[in-house]
Amino acid sequence: MITTVTIFIPLLGALLMLLLPKEFEERRVRAIAAAVAAVPLALALYVYFVYRHDLGAPALTQNVTWVSSLNIGYRVGLDGIGFGMFLLTALLTLIAVVAAWDVRRNLRQYFALLFVAEVGMLGVFAAQDLVLFYVFFELTLLPMYLLVGAWGDENRRAAAIKFFLYTFLGSTIMLAGFLAFGILAGSFSFSALEGGGGLSRAAQVAVAAPIVLGLLIKVPAVPLHGWLLDVYLSSPTSTNVVLSGILPKLGTYGLLRVAIPLLPQGVHPFLPYIAILAVVNILYGAFVGFMQPDLKALVSYSSLATLGFILLGASAVNTVGYNGAVLQQFTHGLYSALLFVVVGIFQARTGTREISELGGLVGRMPWAASIFAIGSLAAMGLPGLAVFSSEFMTLLGGYDAHPVQAILAALGIVTGAFYFLYMLARVIFGPIKNPAYEAIQDATPLEMTAIFPLAALLVLIGFFPGLLVVVQHHAVQSMLTVIGGG
Amino acid sequence: MPYSAEALVALLPEIIGAVFLLVVLMVGVFLPGSVRVVGGLAAAGAAAVFAAATWMFASGFHGTFFGGGYVVDGFALYFKLLVAGCAFLTVVACLGWARSAGDATEYLVLILSVMFGATLLVSMRDLFGVFLALELSTIPSYALVAFDRRRRESSEGAMKYIITGAVASSVLLYGIVLLYGTTGSASLPDVAKTFSGPQQPAALLGLLLLISGFAFKVSAAPFHFWTPDAYQGAPATAAAFLSVAPKMATFAVFLRVLTEGAPGEAPVWTAVLAVIAIVTMFTGNLPALRQTNVRRMLAYSSVAHSGYVLTAFAAWQGNARAEAVQAVMIYAAAYAVMNLGAFLVVDIVGEEAKSFNGLVRTRPGLAASMFVFMAALVGIPPLSGFWGKLWVILSGAGSGSVLTYVTVGALVVSTVISVPYYFGIVRGMLLEEPVSSEVVKKGEPAGLRLAVHTLAFLTFVFFVGIAPLSAVARAAGML
Repeated sequence: MITTVTIFIPLLGALLMLLLPKEFEERRVRAIAAAVAAVPLALALYVYFVYRHDLGAPALTQNVTWVSSLNIGYRVGLDGIGFGMFLLTALLTLIAVVAAWDVRRNLRQYFALLFVAEVGMLGVFAAQDLVLFYVFFELTLLPMYLLVGAWGDENRRAAAIKFFLYTFLGSTIMLAGFLAFGILAGSFSFSALEGGGGLSRAAQVAVAAPIVLGLLIKVPAVPLHGWLLDVYLSSPTSTNVVLSGILPKLGTYGLLRVAIPLLPQGVHPFLPYIAILAVVNILYGAFVGFMQPDLKALVSYSSLATLGFILLGASAVNTVGYNGAVLQQFTHGLYSALLFVVVGIFQARTGTREISELGGLVGRMPWAASIFAIGSLAAMGLPGLAVFSSEFMTLLGGYDAHPVQAILAALGIVTGAFYFLYMLARVIFGPIKNPAYEAIQDATPLEMTAIFPLAALLVLIGFFPGLLVVVQHHAVQSMLTVIGGG
Repeated sequence: MPYSAEALVALLPEIIGAVFLLVVLMVGVFLPGSVRVVGGLAAAGAAAVFAAATWMFASGFHGTFFGGGYVVDGFALYFKLLVAGCAFLTVVACLGWARSAGDATEYLVLILSVMFGATLLVSMRDLFGVFLALELSTIPSYALVAFDRRRRESSEGAMKYIITGAVASSVLLYGIVLLYGTTGSASLPDVAKTFSGPQQPAALLGLLLLISGFAFKVSAAPFHFWTPDAYQGAPATAAAFLSVAPKMATFAVFLRVLTEGAPGEAPVWTAVLAVIAIVTMFTGNLPALRQTNVRRMLAYSSVAHSGYVLTAFAAWQGNARAEAVQAVMIYAAAYAVMNLGAFLVVDIVGEEAKSFNGLVRTRPGLAASMFVFMAALVGIPPLSGFWGKLWVILSGAGSGSVLTYVTVGALVVSTVISVPYYFGIVRGMLLEEPVSSEVVKKGEPAGLRLAVHTLAFLTFVFFVGIAPLSAVARAAGML
């Protein structure tokens, strides 16, 4: 019950937003939206503190049969693999509400759409049924299309439709696979389908192919990433938080929770190729990111590279790699959201995102610049910050399963470190290039509330990754036992 | 016992439909200018047919009558319900227009005639009966398309529709005659018996001609070219009605003819229809991308949706037969609500794509409804179109035939291709500025607005009804 309530509270919030009287002043609307967004977070935290050791199997479940002849049901529950992302969704939505300072027009509608998207995202990470998973998966699409299309920059409409087309293609292909799987196995329930649902090896491969392809478009895995840059660049900051922090995880989570556990034999032949795609993501993201003159584009490509490590860990299908991949989903969300918000702050102050024009920001805005540095160092995989442990685990696990790919992926860390340091040197340190920047102000308290918690979590989880591993490792272990890996 | 009382009950919806048809006609003649009364009667007629069909459905009434040529079963009643429901909403929606056009009675009578023909059609189990009922619903459709005498497009569309329709009828009749000549019977079960005997080339040719004739009627490629002109020319409410009710009834009887008349030949016709389905989806969606006239765009979209329905036809093999029938039934309902609604919104806002720009500012309620219809036509959950496609893909996935898998793949690709034109409207409504300061006036008749919002609501809450609907379709679909 608490799961269902948490998922659908944002929907009530969306209605509330639309019903607020028009003459309400902006600050009150923002405050109410933040209060609404805090409720799912509070509930998720409650679940974390009370149930974090008991998520080896789906807990807090709810089962209602929907279409009995096909065994489709409203089945939700929280398990260790999904709960981290469930929690992060609630957290980042709140951050996105706080960080919506650059959204000035139609604020109520903006928050309403954001909350509808949150319903979809929370639902995906709690769904225990293939059709329901798909419904929630798709529920995020329309709000995100509108968020980018209505509140983005001048290129927003082209970017929004591109995003829609790519991801809709991916999810529809995935749906065809889901339906074939469900009808062959006679059920759409995750629990009934675990380990293959009784399908033969050949049938599993045939069904897994479209599912994996669809999920890889969502991630996106290079070369299916055509939509990524336009959309990331066009979005308002607060949409970026969700867009980079949560949405790619719908794809990786689909691999980790649906494709691999439910179709182990079907996915097996694809695993080396997924590992290769992971390497391509990591190296491509690193090299192309290095060449970007635009700070936001650099962050976008670094995000692409970090997602590669999730794919690597997933493709390993062993305890270390899998735990790393699940954890990396969370840590990637933290740092990428943080970087996008700070880039937004920089842009608001300086009016530019060109790396060559920025410089010496640490002298003028020490807080924002330091937090940006923490995020960048985390993105590089610096020990002591959150991404290090998860990335390291995916590499260790990956080395066991696919040594060549893992060694190549490790190269990506070096490249990443190089270009992040180079970027920091130009953006934060060095002389102030533009005299107009002498007068800029540091992050306001409001801006700090959006970024400080993320930075704090990066440090906290960097030192104590166990805080999250405790949630997930039972679930990972029991899943690997079912599919005979580990 | 062909004339038993039970046979009268079996014909109850049709009798009610015919009585109201005559009453509306008479009242219109004797009380000219009383649009309100005539309209009320027409709406009551459609509602009464709906109620009669519901009652028969609920009481489990079924049987075959008149020498086996007329069948009442769940499948037939389901489609009667659908047709009557669409007719009711169309009547409610069209009153304002019909009043201003001055020929309200004639217009309503034509709509009721189409409804009458379509309700008969879905019960036919005799090839000649099928032909007669089909013509009974088609001929008033010609008049409906031509109804708006003030517009040149109306006559042009009607002309194209009549000529191609006449060709289609002849082809269909020729196919029927060939089947009758080779099998010695027009009754579907008897035709099926003969078919299962030795292969007869003439009978197969007849079957193919029959399929071509039906393909014309449901605007499947390559026989779809009348559709955009007819739907553009027809009065908006007529286009809305014709694109759903008679089309779904034709699909229903088409499925019955194939599954009851030629089950043994399923490998042939599923293959033929799979190819037709694939071609139809693309010939619908690709030209739709280029349209600036929303009605033409929706006409091409309805062609594409015929392709989706035919995918379910192609899935009628292996273990998926029940699912395939279910898919056709669920798709019909899903399509009816969303497509009828979309056409009616066009009636309010205007035909040019530009007139939708900025609609969310000027008419937020209308924009929200149109948004629901467009997203549903794309097939986004949890809206109605999604469930239709879901069942089609489900049946295709269970069919075990490679060609059907290919068709399902084409459906997936084609659906994605369709996104830009549906979302062109959404983008115009939500993201663009209004073209002129002149807002879309709120002057539309209340009935039209009511119908649009009712349909948007039904499209939206389709997921609530999907469980009972699928159970009903499952029970009714055991042909």
